[in-house]
Amino acid sequence: MKRVRQGAFILALTLIRLAAEPFDFRLSPGFPRPPVPENNPMSAAKVALGRYLFYDTRLSVNGKQSCASCHRQEFAFTDGRARALGTTGELHPRSSMSLVNVAYAPALTWADPKLDSLEQQALVPMLGTEPVELGLRGQESRALQDLQRLPLYQRLFAAAFPGEDDPFRLENVTKALAAFQRTIISTRSPYDRYRYGGDESAISGAAKRGEVLFFSGEKAGCFQCHGGWNFSGPVRYEGGPSVEPEYHNTGLYEKYAAPNTGLERHTGNPQDAGKFRAPTLRNIAVTAPYMHDGAIASLEEAVEHYSQGGRAAANPNRSTILRPFRLTAAEKADLIEFLRSLTDEKLLKDPRWSDPWR
Amino acid sequence: MKIISLAGFLLLSLASALRPQAPAAAALEVAGAVATPLRLTAADLAALPRAGVETRSDGLAVRFEGVWMHEVLKKAGVPAGTELRGKALASFVIAEAQDGYQVVFSLAELDPMFTDSQVLLADTANGKPLSGAQGPFRLVAPKEKRGARSIRMLTRLEVVQLRKEVAGARR
Repeated sequence: MKRVRQGAFILALTLIRLAAEPFDFRLSPGFPRPPVPENNPMSAAKVALGRYLFYDTRLSVNGKQSCASCHRQEFAFTDGRARALGTTGELHPRSSMSLVNVAYAPALTWADPKLDSLEQQALVPMLGTEPVELGLRGQESRALQDLQRLPLYQRLFAAAFPGEDDPFRLENVTKALAAFQRTIISTRSPYDRYRYGGDESAISGAAKRGEVLFFSGEKAGCFQCHGGWNFSGPVRYEGGPSVEPEYHNTGLYEKYAAPNTGLERHTGNPQDAGKFRAPTLRNIAVTAPYMHDGAIASLEEAVEHYSQGGRAAANPNRSTILRPFRLTAAEKADLIEFLRSLTDEKLLKDPRWSDPWR
Repeated sequence: MKIISLAGFLLLSLASALRPQAPAAAALEVAGAVATPLRLTAADLAALPRAGVETRSDGLAVRFEGVWMHEVLKKAGVPAGTELRGKALASFVIAEAQDGYQVVFSLAELDPMFTDSQVLLADTANGKPLSGAQGPFRLVAPKEKRGARSIRMLTRLEVVQLRKEVAGARR
């Protein structure tokens, strides 16, 4: 009897300790923790639920698509298409963005500076009508009932939202999806091992030469927009300042046609036309085609575009960072080799983020 | 015979010229208006007073080690502290990178008797020699809000004494 009491005591202590311990994002040494909103603390149970929901086609009007349809792990959570395709066949005006390190983004989507919450953002593909992505508007209760019928979800929702009488609420779906997405973190590419792990053999000589071109303002200077450890410009992190997102017009078009006018669509300022967020270049080799509308098919073509200072250099809003640069064919190959060294192969296969329904 | 030995000599010299040489240790040049121009290798920097800073650029913690810039300038005989006055206060350092990128610091900006700002000439990060686009030498200015003067691939520090012509003033 005494032993049982002792056992229960130790179990209780362990549970308390587990609850108090911060969520383990499994970051490489030195990397910051992503910011987590106070009203949606991380837990393993919530992330587990989010993973099932992320891959669940019950969250589309016709049961054909899930979040993962446009955010596929093997493509670093993009879809390999120029423009995303919704569950009812509607073509999105823009290209699906990678979810890798999305937890650190100061703002989400290509150009909406006000949308900076993953919980809020999850409602866009679920309920949005311009375009229809998952098409759940008006079907929210039906979808929640579908989820509730599964014993699996009874367990997962109860564990993720303990103490709630009815955890089957849309708000909890978005919270779980956001928690899952916050865990999709890439800091383990060959380049990370070279640069932050001190492993000189982790990347090739060509990639090392390409790194110099990337970080040289006098050469390619790519880092001026795709800077910092996330190769994305400003990031938010736990305990860090609330940095603002940056948007750039890369001179892709002379005139950006609606609805793809970028930042202007959200600010109404004509000088913001054609400005989009610089996405992370992590895993860029597996996220073709490129740009907000998939207009650029390959890394070779992207380097060509920027070496001209933007193919539509006459655009008045074109970023002043852009200017033509001259690289030899060998240097261009080196630069692309460097970009390839940013691919985190483990991320593309890690079972933590794979389809749990398979 | 003479011709043969001459040919042999030429061959030998050619062979020695073509023989792969051990790469010279990378060196940082300290030049310009300095009493003692320097060529500093990592070994030279190891012999100077060492210092370290931890930066958190975008939240990523990196520990840099090296030598404070004022120690480097002192070694080159550049006026410092109470000696840093008069014309010397119009002097500045051009820091130049391998690709031609340049940034400027005035001498007073680097002097601990003038300011608490710190600029480190770094040669290691997290205990490993700086390589590739980082090194082998770089500046780290941890208190600056933007990283643009924390110049990487640093190859040269040049001290310039500014002499601005002022109308009517005697030189």
